[in-house]
Amino acid sequence: MGDREQTLISSVSDLWEPKSRRDFFKMMAVGGSVVFLPGIATACATMGSMGGANSATAGSGATVTIDFAKGDVAVLQFAYALEQLEADFYSRVVAAFSGSDLTPADQGVLADIKNHEIIHREFLKTALGSNGFSLTPTYPNVNFSNRASVLGTARAFEDLGVAAYNGAGQYLTDPGNLTLAGKIVSVEARHSAAIRRMLSPHTGDFAPNAFDNVFSPAKVAGVAQGFIVDHLAFANAPSTFAQGPNNNG
Amino acid sequence: MNNTIANGVVSGAPSDVIDVLQFALLLEHLEAEYYTRGTKMGGPVPQSDLPVFNTIRNHENAHVAALIQVIQSKGGTPAPKPNFDFTAKGAVPDPFGAGNYQIFLALAQAFEDTGVRAYKGQAGRLMSDTQVLSAALSIHSVEARHASMVRYLRGQKGWITGDDRGGLPAFAQPIYDGEANVTQAGVNLSALGNGNGGIGAVTEAFDEPLTKEQVTAIVTPFLA
Repeated sequence: MGDREQTLISSVSDLWEPKSRRDFFKMMAVGGSVVFLPGIATACATMGSMGGANSATAGSGATVTIDFAKGDVAVLQFAYALEQLEADFYSRVVAAFSGSDLTPADQGVLADIKNHEIIHREFLKTALGSNGFSLTPTYPNVNFSNRASVLGTARAFEDLGVAAYNGAGQYLTDPGNLTLAGKIVSVEARHSAAIRRMLSPHTGDFAPNAFDNVFSPAKVAGVAQGFIVDHLAFANAPSTFAQGPNNNG
Repeated sequence: MNNTIANGVVSGAPSDVIDVLQFALLLEHLEAEYYTRGTKMGGPVPQSDLPVFNTIRNHENAHVAALIQVIQSKGGTPAPKPNFDFTAKGAVPDPFGAGNYQIFLALAQAFEDTGVRAYKGQAGRLMSDTQVLSAALSIHSVEARHASMVRYLRGQKGWITGDDRGGLPAFAQPIYDGEANVTQAGVNLSALGNGNGGIGAVTEAFDEPLTKEQVTAIVTPFLA
């Protein structure tokens, strides 16, 4: 985490191009930062009006701190942050169906996923009560009318969610909460496989590895921050992390 | 694990952890053998779907190898691979026969959906060993990916609605019993379905665990 990489985004197409996208996520995962060159803010605003995306800069808002001294509550808060992001994303996807090139079959799957993510979000909101908080998502590089952009982003969110729950499990102290996280993570994995199949049917892409990624909260937050206006921060973050078999968390 | 202690093998892990690993190994042996047989030349899987099942087969073999390694690293002795009977002693047509792809898919769905619930049910027993917990969770979600894909190949949704066994034979109902649960952490979530897909979506949004005893009852007919 010492060397913070910086990526210069000089055109909107940089963000749509698959290789750039991969590098973007990889770079964000190690705590890098993104600098948008002049003109991009305008382009993003245009995209916002097209796809309903918020054009505010990720991380520019008020700080939301998740304090791991709260134990299981902090882990649930972390999950709540991700579920807010997912629920909002799919709500925008569904709202943009009429102007998109998503097939009817795609739309059926995405509408189901939207329902699941909203239910996850609302459940966690209820469970957290006064420990809840509201985040504002932003999608600087998503074109909600474009199938490849929507599904590529959905895949990234689902894979991130799977790796996040897999990595957060070790910090839960109540077995009931661990089972609860397990009930949600396998549904996220089902989502990911469904999205990946839509992008690449009849291949092994639905499960790209024998072992799913297990990401530390810090690594997950580094990626998620790229889609959240509020500034995500941790207090009393765990000092140890048990890596999964892929040893990349 | 009791056997392991009885055999005088010193364990570096709490008995629960090795017991869970042995249980997982049995399930992974079952799956690995199933897909190894199913992906042979002239088998049930059409050419177009072979990449899917070759991938799943490779994953299950990797899970078997990993579990054996972890059990050994904890000082345990991996239980040997049992013999399997994938007709469940005649209750199911031969899933490996050419032309029996729908049978093959049905059992694959049964095993994958069972696997997801089985790992989930054991997670709590691994909390003392975060390394093993991380590994188990990384397998658990891969089984869910498999389940989702196989379900689509059967024309099902990737997720489980209510306790619907999706056209599988009646013997498979215990694999889905309990999935209609709408109460999480003591909160009845039925109302959250309003405007969001109804009760069905509430049940789809959460996969439910099975106990070791429930899973054992499901897989025992497939042991020769």
